Amino acid sequence: MAIINLKEKTIQVKIIYYGPGRSGKTTNLEYIHNRLQKTLNGEIGKLTSIDTKGDRTLFFDFFPINLGKIAGFDLKLQLYTTPGQVKYEVTRRLVLKGADGIVFVADSLSSRQEANRESFDNLIQNLNYHKLDLDGVKLVFQWNKRDLDENMISLTNIKDMEEQLNSELKTKSFPSSAVTGLNVLKTVNFIAKKTVKTVIENTVFQ
Amino acid sequence: MILYEKSVEKIEAVLQTFIDESGATYVLLADMGGNMLFKAGEGNFDGATLAALSAANYAATMEIATLIKEDNFSLLFHRGNNENIHFARITQDILMIVLFKPYLSLGLLRLKIESTQEEVNDLIGSEEWQL
Repeated sequence: MAIINLKEKTIQVKIIYYGPGRSGKTTNLEYIHNRLQKTLNGEIGKLTSIDTKGDRTLFFDFFPINLGKIAGFDLKLQLYTTPGQVKYEVTRRLVLKGADGIVFVADSLSSRQEANRESFDNLIQNLNYHKLDLDGVKLVFQWNKRDLDENMISLTNIKDMEEQLNSELKTKSFPSSAVTGLNVLKTVNFIAKKTVKTVIENTVFQ
Repeated sequence: MILYEKSVEKIEAVLQTFIDESGATYVLLADMGGNMLFKAGEGNFDGATLAALSAANYAATMEIATLIKEDNFSLLFHRGNNENIHFARITQDILMIVLFKPYLSLGLLRLKIESTQEEVNDLIGSEEWQL
């Protein structure tokens, strides 16, 4: 749930990176953090990661960004990842509370298509738990790990991934590589704009 | 949620009085989604990250309570060498996070938190909030 503070003139928006384990959610955030640290000196908070010894996300990764002004308001974006592993269901649900926008990071590896589907179904269930649905929360898909195509690793083609996850919603999607940065900033830029636009339409200029 | 200017001023004035009377260093009200709502006092750290981590910490602790079939843990605080931190749920969706020095009495601080909680609750009940 976005918070609009009329005294401080700020809009706070929460964006969650969701998806199956090892699909590249944390790598997305690390890439964004590294890139923005160079360009937005002082406007970006520390990247906080709560992970296990094996570098798997235990609770979440998080960092806040000040993205400048929109309609006279300072825009503050809060980026979170959820833990992808199935066993961390409770923490995933907790992080999802109050989400305004979601980036679903789907794994392009052929062997992970069932995991993508399960994670997407799990997202819908957890949104329902918070009395939210995909009509109320903005969503964008990322078909991640496209760089592996060059290494002759078997990937599912984008058309099939669209068919599997996005045939009903027909929302925006990006082929991406969180490792090389392909479309990583474009994705966050898109979801930020879309989410903020909806928040402003639904609240400030209602 | 829209926080109107007058509502923010009134609640932050209550929080500033809490700081003045209790001797606490910093107080922050955050929602359970980890958003920072109101604050008072001096803190040389990122309040947005403190709000996000505190909401997660509180929620995880409540899950532990559920797991061991406990209704609620009435005391949730961490003692440090230079700074202590106390967490209290003051409404269904709002968490009050207080930083205070180890030489302050925890009992006295908790009494002040309780009275501040009532004042904040009254204000939230009466102020105009758009959800």
